[in-house]
Amino acid sequence: MTDQIEIGRLLRAGTTGFIAGCRVNQLDAPSFGALVRAPLGGGYQIFGIIYDIHIDDDGLVRQLVTADNVSDEVMKDNRERRIVPVEMSVLAVGYEQDGKIFHLLPPRPPLSLDVIYLCDEQDMARFTKRFGYFRHILNSQDVPVGEVIAAHIQHACVAHEDKAWKEKATHEVITLLRDDYPTLMAVLGALNDVSV
Amino acid sequence: MPIDYQQIYEKIQEIGKGARERKKTLEERRAKARELLSAYASQLDVLHTKVDSAKALDPNIRCAYPLDESLASSHPAPDSAIQATLIAADGSQINPDRHAAVQFGLINVGAITMKLNSGEAPGISTESELLFGEELLPNGIPMSEGMVALKRDLSERTMLDDLSRGISGQVVTFTDGPIELWGAKGEDAASYEDFVKKYLGVLSRLQTRDVITAGYVDKPSADLVVRLLEIASADNEQIQKLREFHPLRGVSDRWLFGERENPLLPPGHRSAVFKIQSSSEKRYTGVLTLHFFYLNVGTEGHPWPVRVEIPRWVVDDKAKLDLLHAVLVEQCRMMGSRPYPYLLHRAHETAVVKNEEKQQIEQMLSMELRKNNEDVDDGSYKQSAKDLQGRTRR
Repeated sequence: MTDQIEIGRLLRAGTTGFIAGCRVNQLDAPSFGALVRAPLGGGYQIFGIIYDIHIDDDGLVRQLVTADNVSDEVMKDNRERRIVPVEMSVLAVGYEQDGKIFHLLPPRPPLSLDVIYLCDEQDMARFTKRFGYFRHILNSQDVPVGEVIAAHIQHACVAHEDKAWKEKATHEVITLLRDDYPTLMAVLGALNDVSV
Repeated sequence: MPIDYQQIYEKIQEIGKGARERKKTLEERRAKARELLSAYASQLDVLHTKVDSAKALDPNIRCAYPLDESLASSHPAPDSAIQATLIAADGSQINPDRHAAVQFGLINVGAITMKLNSGEAPGISTESELLFGEELLPNGIPMSEGMVALKRDLSERTMLDDLSRGISGQVVTFTDGPIELWGAKGEDAASYEDFVKKYLGVLSRLQTRDVITAGYVDKPSADLVVRLLEIASADNEQIQKLREFHPLRGVSDRWLFGERENPLLPPGHRSAVFKIQSSSEKRYTGVLTLHFFYLNVGTEGHPWPVRVEIPRWVVDDKAKLDLLHAVLVEQCRMMGSRPYPYLLHRAHETAVVKNEEKQQIEQMLSMELRKNNEDVDDGSYKQSAKDLQGRTRR
């Protein structure tokens, strides 16, 4: 069992997704397209894919960028001390109940301040064994579909011993998008840039 | 009823009509002020005599008192500070509100400690003091807003004293606003004296440990140097009635040191150091005597003179004065186009109490009192009427 990597805590949530926040100095762990989980106890946890990482500004930051130089101390102060969290938008893609994985929207969203973890390879392989969750990504209006699918496949194929997983995933995307040529082309274009 | 904009508009028109005349008068006075500054710049002995004779007639006279630097002198920023620890503190308060359901006050002080060139993230400290019951009635007199502000000022300086203990090397501490305690003297004289005594004790402790301390006054409105020039120009008769003698009214120290086209202080330069001649000099004596200098924290073409108040122990040590000067210039430059010490802004961010927080504290306090079977009053009906939501579009 590898150490759990905490990437932040929940700020707000809905059934289809949630927003997690973290300090800037925690930002080396999460990445665009990564699979994350929010364990809620009682054998229930929600899985999601990060589709946006957002850093807000404020008045002070806007003013500091006009300064000639910013010292290391000021940089660290703003990144580690000031209360401006990095926000990660996560698309809910399924959940686990009593050891069984479902590629359905979760029955209940996570709650404020629930800890969000990065999925390790074992979780990643378990969750992505089947491709039912792809439809959540492909149907989402707010998500840059091609880029998220490409980034996710790049992350996930590392976790699979089956070297044909990437190929199977690509076939699944083609099947799901067979009636949507423009999106299919966008997704295949992005997938073409995935080098493993 | 909303504002009667017709009446306001008429008044604004009148103000506009007088602009040319006011500008002409002000320009004449400014020219006179420049003239007086040049004439008396190096006549420090004459100025000392003039102020001393004015003081003999009115000990409460408030003006700048030059030391040994020419009035028109300007001193460039020394080399950047390499090794020093900076601590800035700022405070905010909740004033007791007789219309609220529960009477309470709060002093919240935030401070930030930064070690220059350490690469370390600064340390943040907060101290919150809730005032309730008898604490709101020092000497049996209800605590006024002025008194709460005094208590806040004392807490700010005390926090600087506490945080600077045990730090090796040079320590520079500063707060926003003057060092001199202000206001509320007449409301509760005994409490005021008590605050001043404690405050002087804190300043003495800082001095004993060689800690530099300063008060940073942004956009200062006290025209201490202009007042000195007025006193300098007064004849024997005028000096008898100094309170009515204001030939340079409208000319500001900010203009004198930071005239846009021709600032006396180039960017980063400080003025001569002056002693503050005022009624408070009876309290701030010896090494605690209050002094100030102007500092242009602005840039080329955009001068921005601020007043920096310091005690005498900082004035007497050139190295300390230079370090403070360098630190403030650097702190202001960090903020780019609107120069203000970065750490003071951060201390303010840490200290500020929002209205929602006030309501939360009031709620917590009410719940605790009710839980312990103590009666809790209602808020005033006046306040509840004021809090009614205005009409909104559906």
